[in-house]
Amino acid sequence: MNQTVVSYLSQYEFYDFLLALFRNNQGVLAFTLYLLLALIIVGMCATIGGLGTYAERKISADLQARIGPNRVGPYGLLQMLADGVKMMTKEDIMPFTADKKLFYLAPLLCLTGVFATLAVLPFSSGFIMADLNVGIFYLVAISSLVGLGVFLGGYASNSKWSMLGGMRGASQIISYEIPVTISILAIVLLAGGMGFGTIVGRQGGLPHEWFMFHNPFAFIAFFVYSVGALAETNRAPFDLPEAESELVSGYHTEYTGMRFGFFALAEYIEVFVVCGVAASLFLGGYNVPGIKLDILPMQAAQFVIFMTKTLVLYYVVIWIRWTLPRLRVDQLMSVCWKYLTPIAIFNLMGCAIWMVVFNGKSIAELVLGSH
Amino acid sequence: MFLQFLFISSAVLTVSCALGVLMVKNIMHSCVFLLGSLMGIAGLYATLGADFVAITQIMVYVGGVVILMLFAVMLTGGNDFVSRAQNLLGLPASMGNKWTYAIGLLVGVVFLLTNIQLIRGLTKALPVKTITNEFPSTVTQIGHLLVKDHVLAFEMSSVLLLGALVGAAIIARPRKQN
Repeated sequence: MNQTVVSYLSQYEFYDFLLALFRNNQGVLAFTLYLLLALIIVGMCATIGGLGTYAERKISADLQARIGPNRVGPYGLLQMLADGVKMMTKEDIMPFTADKKLFYLAPLLCLTGVFATLAVLPFSSGFIMADLNVGIFYLVAISSLVGLGVFLGGYASNSKWSMLGGMRGASQIISYEIPVTISILAIVLLAGGMGFGTIVGRQGGLPHEWFMFHNPFAFIAFFVYSVGALAETNRAPFDLPEAESELVSGYHTEYTGMRFGFFALAEYIEVFVVCGVAASLFLGGYNVPGIKLDILPMQAAQFVIFMTKTLVLYYVVIWIRWTLPRLRVDQLMSVCWKYLTPIAIFNLMGCAIWMVVFNGKSIAELVLGSH
Repeated sequence: MFLQFLFISSAVLTVSCALGVLMVKNIMHSCVFLLGSLMGIAGLYATLGADFVAITQIMVYVGGVVILMLFAVMLTGGNDFVSRAQNLLGLPASMGNKWTYAIGLLVGVVFLLTNIQLIRGLTKALPVKTITNEFPSTVTQIGHLLVKDHVLAFEMSSVLLLGALVGAAIIARPRKQN
């Protein structure tokens, strides 16, 4: 059934205390808790997105033998705040020929799509806003709002660079959704459910219990997912929608101040979400190696494990950006349709056949004997 | 309480955005209103407890259909339709003549009567039914139904989609230079 963070909290004693505080009004208490936790998660992820810009600059500086931001705060850590203040105080320019309503709407659609995905991201077995039994499907569906935002942003600016960037963005996001979704489907097949709780629950803490090493097809599916996810979040080497050497900066050329900030923030949070999904689908998610207890401090340990895996993947994404050159548009499309999609379909069928032939056992279980 | 709130807000969103699609002159704005309307319909499905169908609605319509519509509008001229209020023959556009009005009225009356006939049985006091379900989730249930009761329709639609895919590939293929 659908589990939520409130139904998880309700098994502890302090929930009864809170309930008494709210005069036994279950609905109001649940709503208040949801509101608080949603604010916490959104605030936390916005901070991670902001720190992502800092990490990007610091790691790129590292890779290019520079120092990077080091003036604001210790190690330049407060650079993000300075950037935030700068963006808020900048003039909000509206192009004269822009489609005003859509121009306002586009960055909001991007940000809404990304924040909506946070509802099902499993930070720990209890700290997941709503463990829907269609969790991963919801995430894939609602994140398509980002593509719409990119496209409308490009259209509404009414400039040629933005238009080209928006069209590239929309076609790229739609195309790469197919190999990504099929790779996810292979994992859903292994887990026997689409909810994040089910998928992560079927894996263990140690690497041989992860779905990535469940069988050779899932191993390939991880890399197909990673490449597709890079393209879906418009990250290099697939950052054609904002290719600054060709399109100035693509769909957000005409945006200034905090509206541009929304696009940038949405991108960095989406990278975090995509890394979190990769960690929970393929790398065992929040499972703590070796320990299976259901106590409250355990949640903190699970949270740390999840964050570690996700942030390592985040580092890899930034590392790739500053290492690989950008693809051409035709190369981008042929990578998607001629290579990734057939490989993803092959993986899906391979996983299905593996599940039937080996009765759902992983390689480790077959080698070490079942337990 | 929560379901009522969800239902009312979804219904208002659906209807008001559907009206927006009709009222707005700009065709791109129409598409965006359509997006809101389709999201509202997803909310209505969620009210009914059909979570899988609700998500599919978002996946197919928001992620696919609306973006394709925007693409099609943009590639075929988009905003120019606003200023050029003429029909295909170059005459000033009008809503129709007396025959089209008469036919439209007739269709409207028949549609209204059919709807009244359909709704009439439902306005009496509804018995509250508790749905007993042996499946743990709607996903499982839909999966079981698709490969048991409706397997023929499922397989036939997959053949249809394969045909559409092959057809698109043939149309998009570059012609040989003879």
